[in-house]
Amino acid sequence: MDKLKEVKEGSIWAIGGGKGGTGKTFLTSSIGIFLAKAGKRVVLIDVDIGGANLHSFLGIDRPKKSLTNFFEMGIPLSRLAVKTGVDNMSLIMGDVHSLASDSIKFTQKLKLFRHITKLNKQYVIVDLGGGSHNNTIDTFLMADKRIAVLEPEIIAIENMYHFVKNALFRKIRMSLRAYGFKEIVEHMWEQREKYKIKSLKELIDSLKESFSYLGDILDKEIYDFKVYLVLNKIRSSQDILIGASMKSIFMKYLGINAQFAGYVEYDDAVWRSIRERRPLMLNYSLSRVAKEIGVFTENLLYEREMKISRS
Amino acid sequence: MPKKELKKYFEILEISPDSTILEIRNAYNRLKKLYSTDSVVISPIADEFSKKDRKEILQQVEEAFMKLMESLKGQPGSFQSYRRDLASEDDPSAEKTEEEPYSGSVLKQIREKRGIQLFEVSLDTKIRMELLESIEDEKFDSLPQEVYLKGHLTNYAIYLLLQPDKVTEDYIARYRAWKEEKKEES
Repeated sequence: MDKLKEVKEGSIWAIGGGKGGTGKTFLTSSIGIFLAKAGKRVVLIDVDIGGANLHSFLGIDRPKKSLTNFFEMGIPLSRLAVKTGVDNMSLIMGDVHSLASDSIKFTQKLKLFRHITKLNKQYVIVDLGGGSHNNTIDTFLMADKRIAVLEPEIIAIENMYHFVKNALFRKIRMSLRAYGFKEIVEHMWEQREKYKIKSLKELIDSLKESFSYLGDILDKEIYDFKVYLVLNKIRSSQDILIGASMKSIFMKYLGINAQFAGYVEYDDAVWRSIRERRPLMLNYSLSRVAKEIGVFTENLLYEREMKISRS
Repeated sequence: MPKKELKKYFEILEISPDSTILEIRNAYNRLKKLYSTDSVVISPIADEFSKKDRKEILQQVEEAFMKLMESLKGQPGSFQSYRRDLASEDDPSAEKTEEEPYSGSVLKQIREKRGIQLFEVSLDTKIRMELLESIEDEKFDSLPQEVYLKGHLTNYAIYLLLQPDKVTEDYIARYRAWKEEKKEES
């Protein structure tokens, strides 16, 4: 591992991206193992609404304790963490039912985030699963590092745009609420046909136009909204360009600072290791996939970007 | 040009201000391609990211590239001084002696020194790979008619940041010599 200085020891990483099946759970487990093997203390949290199965990727049984125990009985997170068979790394299960519903109140969510933040000096890697549910988006927004996984195909790309735009919209709405502008934003968006607003960008532009003093606030919100892109299952070097292209489009179109952290090539060894319930990062640690995961994880750790040498 | 303005142009091309000429050119080519074609990354948002928006971006990219290139020249508008500047930096063609003509192998050398793969030339200039290979290897019998060849050589020369007139002149001379020789043989 690099001797570079980290920004800070321990942080919360959320792994989402919108589409299911792009490899978020696989990458969550792999990032965790990579960090743990490098001597970091790691907690994985599985909040995948569509199907929490992070334990399977680690080759362990489904933990009996879950976040339900936290929500309903107030059991501290540290006591919900189970061993994963990897030194320095534990796992906290989400719960399909309690997380899917809208029954979790905002205050409960805040409480969970507060407790997650308290797991200090540890790397908390949260597997969000697919979809753009509010709970998913909120967890994504609260993380120190927002990581969006996609594969080089049109549906995943489309869902990714949708996911990131949703997240940005929610972030803007939340911050404007503090300035008493929530209703106006929502009104403008609901009546977007009337105001001839077709997209989030146009909404932002017309907000800036109508309320010039919002300009700085909006610019800052958008600027602070940093997203890391990880491109999974690439099949050619041309596919890598998609990461660079999306970074460019996010910046030029929405003004979002997206960083292309890296890519992982398609390899049958991935599903083989999942089927065998033996993590690839341990079993095929010398494979190219494992190396690529190491490269982008270090990029995430040190907030660096993938080097694109040439088109 | 003021530093601040230069910085803005580098930002538009999404590269750092210490980028080399090659990096500037590559960024320019990449962005031009990205925003002028309906690719897999554009089409999902094509309905809200209009052609007009993209045209504006293309114009900015174009402007940034031109201005940066201009700023690299000694005196604006002078290609010769630009080449001199290039030579003082890391211009591989500077290693070519003045008398040596632009043969296929010289072109190949320059390309390789610039770290450019043949397929990239092909992708960017739309010249077929086999044709580029034939040009570099001087397989004259598999080259097209002179008038077409001239066009390809011009594009290739521009791509390599060389003087197109000089390149075509040198190369076509070699091509004609080969043709004469063949005529005599038969």
